[in-house]
Amino acid sequence: MSTPPVTLTINGAARSFPLPADTALLYVLRNDCGLNGPKFGCGLGECGACAVLVDGRAVRACTTRLGTLAGRTVTTLEGLATDGEPHPVQRAFTAMQAAQCGYCLNGMIIATVALLARDPAPDEAAIRAALRHHLCRCGTHMEILAAVRLARDDLAVSPTEAARMEPSS
Amino acid sequence: MTGPREKALAAYLEADDILLVLRPGSANAPDIHLAITGDGTVIAFNGHVDLGTGIRTALAQIVAEELDVPFERVSLVLGTTSAAPDQGPTIASETIQITAIPLRQAAATARRHLLARAADRLGTTVDALTVDGGTVHAGSAAIGYGDLVRGRHARVEIDPAIAVKPVADYRLVGTPQPRTDIGPKALGLWTYVHDVRVPGMLHGRVVRPPYVGYDHGEGVGTSLLAVDESSVAHLPGFVAVVAIGDFVGVVAAREEQAVEAARRLKVTWKPQPPRPDLNDVEAALRANPARTRVLKHEGDVERALAAASPAMPRTYVWPYQMHGSIGPSCAVADWRADGLTVWSGTQNPHWMRRDLARLLDMPEEAIVVERHEAAGCYGRNCADDVTADAALLSRAVGAPVRVQLTREEEHGWEPKGAAQVIDVRGGLDLAGGPVAYDFETRYPSNLAPTLALVLTGKLPPVPEVAEMGDRTAIPPYAVGPMRIAVHDMPPLARASWFRGVSAMPNSFAHESYFDELANAAGVDPVEYRLRYLTDPRAVDLVRAVAERAKWRLRTTWGTEGGEGDLLYGRGFAYALYNHGKFPGTPAAWAAWVADVAVNRRTGVVTVTRVTVGQDSGLMINPDGVRHQIHGNVIQSVSRVLKEEVRFTGTGVESLEWGGYPILTFEETPDIDVLLIPRPDEEPRGVGESASVPSAAAIVNAVYDATGLRFRELPLTPDRVLAALQGRQRIEQRIEHRAAVKRKAKRWFGLGVGIAGLAGLAAGGLALAAPFRPAIAPIQRPDPAVFSPASVERGRLVAAAGACAVCHVGPDGVALAGGRAFETPFGTVRATNITPDETNGIGGWSFAAFQRAMRQGIRRDGAHLYPVHPYTSFVNVDDGDLQDLYAYLMTTPAVAAPAPVSALKPPFAVRGLMAAWNALYLRPTTVAVDPLKGEAWNRGAYLVEGLGHCSACHTERNALGAERTGPARLAGGTAEGWDAPAINGTAAGPVGWTEAALYAYLRDGHAADHGSAGGPMAAVVKSLAPLPDADIRAMAVYLASFPGTATPEAAAAARTAALAASEAARADAALVAPEGARLFEGACAACHEADGTLAPLALNSPLHADRPANLIRTILHGAEAPASLAARPGSPAEVMSMPAFAASLTDRQIAALATYLRARFAPGKPAWTDVEAASADARRISSKGG
Ligand code: FES
Ligand code: FES
Repeated sequence: MSTPPVTLTINGAARSFPLPADTALLYVLRNDCGLNGPKFGCGLGECGACAVLVDGRAVRACTTRLGTLAGRTVTTLEGLATDGEPHPVQRAFTAMQAAQCGYCLNGMIIATVALLARDPAPDEAAIRAALRHHLCRCGTHMEILAAVRLARDDLAVSPTEAARMEPSS
Repeated sequence: MTGPREKALAAYLEADDILLVLRPGSANAPDIHLAITGDGTVIAFNGHVDLGTGIRTALAQIVAEELDVPFERVSLVLGTTSAAPDQGPTIASETIQITAIPLRQAAATARRHLLARAADRLGTTVDALTVDGGTVHAGSAAIGYGDLVRGRHARVEIDPAIAVKPVADYRLVGTPQPRTDIGPKALGLWTYVHDVRVPGMLHGRVVRPPYVGYDHGEGVGTSLLAVDESSVAHLPGFVAVVAIGDFVGVVAAREEQAVEAARRLKVTWKPQPPRPDLNDVEAALRANPARTRVLKHEGDVERALAAASPAMPRTYVWPYQMHGSIGPSCAVADWRADGLTVWSGTQNPHWMRRDLARLLDMPEEAIVVERHEAAGCYGRNCADDVTADAALLSRAVGAPVRVQLTREEEHGWEPKGAAQVIDVRGGLDLAGGPVAYDFETRYPSNLAPTLALVLTGKLPPVPEVAEMGDRTAIPPYAVGPMRIAVHDMPPLARASWFRGVSAMPNSFAHESYFDELANAAGVDPVEYRLRYLTDPRAVDLVRAVAERAKWRLRTTWGTEGGEGDLLYGRGFAYALYNHGKFPGTPAAWAAWVADVAVNRRTGVVTVTRVTVGQDSGLMINPDGVRHQIHGNVIQSVSRVLKEEVRFTGTGVESLEWGGYPILTFEETPDIDVLLIPRPDEEPRGVGESASVPSAAAIVNAVYDATGLRFRELPLTPDRVLAALQGRQRIEQRIEHRAAVKRKAKRWFGLGVGIAGLAGLAAGGLALAAPFRPAIAPIQRPDPAVFSPASVERGRLVAAAGACAVCHVGPDGVALAGGRAFETPFGTVRATNITPDETNGIGGWSFAAFQRAMRQGIRRDGAHLYPVHPYTSFVNVDDGDLQDLYAYLMTTPAVAAPAPVSALKPPFAVRGLMAAWNALYLRPTTVAVDPLKGEAWNRGAYLVEGLGHCSACHTERNALGAERTGPARLAGGTAEGWDAPAINGTAAGPVGWTEAALYAYLRDGHAADHGSAGGPMAAVVKSLAPLPDADIRAMAVYLASFPGTATPEAAAAARTAALAASEAARADAALVAPEGARLFEGACAACHEADGTLAPLALNSPLHADRPANLIRTILHGAEAPASLAARPGSPAEVMSMPAFAASLTDRQIAALATYLRARFAPGKPAWTDVEAASADARRISSKGG
């Protein structure tokens, strides 16, 4: 069956895909768009490795089907930077060396961007709750938590940075 | 160029401006360890790979230090067989301790060579030179390394006797160095093996045999009976099915197409022999035949033990655990007649190459392994297995193939960390010292051959016995008589080394035991250890860690006190990790103080803080060491508190993160790392060592808090609670909730029907003519005869009647028929209702069509079964039927017959339906009530007629007829799903309001009830083209039944239901602890997020009398509310619920359902027989599919 194309915005550009509506967004991003930030971890919505922003909200690309995204805006790890400048959260993760293998890093960064966009001053409990369903097997939790705190504190002192928290589309 | 490749060895050997440093004696077949190019770049080669631990950075630091070049100028080539030397597998943090040595010597050799040249060029002696930042200075003259290299191709061999830089001169090594890979990883710019794409690449998936996680024994490699290629050959993008022995794989053009083909491929396997029950590892290991190896025997152990007072025999049990890489393994292979290239995350590139050569019958030299980073693996995961899978598929299709394993395959098949059972006999002497130490450890290892070798039969499935249970088997304490033995035994489940291999369990026993001795002797446990420790570095470390943690002496448990339900405790443990073949190589010294809080009401153990000290000699990159220790602490806390692989009778049961939970952010302890500075001592492997004392430290802390000694892991809440309070109380709670088994309400009341209908048949034939006259066929009407307006109205009639939902064809072809409906009478198949003359209804006149719709009689006069809801359609008015006819006659004809129904006797006799009709087909019309307004009347027409809601939402009698009276619309079933009551008596905690009914029918989602699932989701989709007014009308009509809620009542009920569920949280976890874990790992990410889903406490299926809908939703998943929502821009959830049929067993689903019921419908009686219901649901759906 030929399928009517689904049109959505990915990292600021309008894209159209003549693919079945039940195609997982993760495969479209990775294989059709060459965006390697989102990773396949479980395909069951459990681990968070595949997280992306849909209209600014963190969702799991492995369980999100293309057909639900018509007219929506998707931002991946690659789309967080503006004018080649890494996003403040990406900078904080690098500064705190918040990765061992780094496979979970995509989800951690996306979750943090979404968290700080809805709550610019999360306390420790709020940070941990926001990352609760993002799994890291290497045990990078200490560095990741430190990176989230750093990003939060940086944003608190720099209003221009804070303005960038809303992922552009 | 095909795919990302490292520059091959030859390129370096042919380069003009280069200095190469080779392995000694390798001049003829050069092994390059270091290269310096004309622009001053330094390239270091190492046969080990970076498993996510940052050795790339540490090795670069070593090379930069030795050569005096800036860190940034050094790059690393790791693992790749086309360039890097074979240095064996990357194991046990050996890289820094072992393979760094030739690299350091290579750098020193290069430096000496370059300085000699510089002295020449600058006309001075080597002694007069200094080096800074890769530039050689002699007074004011200076020359760079690059300049010295340019213009020549030079080769030198490593001088193993060369003097390396004294530690005192180090400037770079020992200072914190940020890792070079993290920046690009944070931007999504790093190429993991998962990200490798090769031109022309296809996608493969494997289909594994039923002996999940076993690589030896009966049936392994010989269980495949049949693969039915025709089950997938028609799928879009399909390329091939490959089957060799028990190896089965599919290849398709796109990844999701390969996923679908693997899911749908019909494969038949032999029934599997039962295997030892590994949920009772102690019994299984004791029953496993073993060969005993005595590692140490000093003094007369038996005599000493006879004098013990008290004697303290103890047994410690360690479960199977898994590495649990966050990214399931992935590889790309490109097979050509002249050679194979694989892109792999292997940690043993050269070893794997040997296996590939054997698997594919090709010479090793024809294989290139390009090594890319993968997700961290902490031992061994499926990286090699998937590489071999990809190679087999690539060879079969003659194109590059990428294979991505699923989460379930990685969990199921990764070689596990082995279980272990350890017996210690000992006790106290009269002075309170250890009288003797008799230690026996059982370890079922194996070398986990590359899976494809076993599956294809290249390797016989015979177990190999590895000698791997001996790591750190000898305790660090000076005890008189001592006997240490290891029982080497064949594997049970597939296993391989996992971080702290056998040392972690062995130290768990040693360090628990010494704690027990200290306690029995009435001595502080740290003090007790210090009495018997002999290694001065151990003594220093133990003292330093105790001091750092502010250890207070204790001689009894309970001194840390508690508050509320919490009891606090601290525990100590120490170990020196010994790895490699016995007697092994010691790595770093490590000691822990663990602080725990034990909740005596819930049994939850929280590790709140870990103080961990490590002495690893010279630290190359102290920041890296600290991060490694953090990682090891967190992972080992996770293993000790939570991790245990569960098994079914034939394979691994834990196939995803709900069944195998790991530590989350909310459970992460504070960690205080104490690094002992020893810059003058040789560097030791870091990180892994820090895991080894973990289990005993935590168990000792739990003892300190509670006085209870746990000798079996993990410390799950149920295990801890059982010990704290005895099992009894939990069992009482479960009994309290035991349910009254409810009489099942089923489609066509199974079991009564046969006799009843047979009896009816005899009399019935007299009542009504079984055969009706055929109506003469016509030529298919020309679509042009139907007015576009009529066709369009007909499209809406079809939408309201949801014709396409049931009459769907294979792979979703509209109206082509074939969908199977399981009934107690047999399988009824929907017919082809496209206008094809032979196979569809093209030859049907309107009169024939109308008769079929209203009376259930086919054009040829045969009766249809009442699965076709003609008892509702009898109410549809003529105009609508004409429009529907017009619409159907203008849809594309499908010239394929739908499969025929397969009914059991006597039902196969369609004529019996005549009798049935005489009894049940009532030529009624929908009641019209002008007083109730237009919307109500329209709604009544849609609900009772066209929409045929009663077909599913009304229970049927023994003969399959809808019940009447109060049963009408009071709930029925559809395809195994429960269709809940829609007459105002639904079971959910919040009553339906008109607004909720509207939202549900329009968008498939109501905030107080949840989302449409199963057949209802398809109905909502079908209703999408209808105008809002029609949907509103249905809501108005349905809301007119008594019992419908007012908005105020609904709001109050909502608040009450949410509060009740919150209050039930802790109790539910006590009733179903495993269910609670499954929920947390598999469900809560979406269902407890502050997202857009309806709270589960309001979810109708969880409040229903039967778990039917819940089970089906878990098995098959649910579509995202956003894909049902007809209103554009609605904020509905975009994520769908995945199907868990391949991820959870019936037993797990039962545990989960029990928890969900107790937690989210706390007022309702528990369900019974959920496991059987789940098995039933699977059987039905596999038949219906
Ligand atoms: S891959 Fe999507 S949540 Fe795990
Ligand atoms: S850094 Fe490896 S999984 Fe998180």
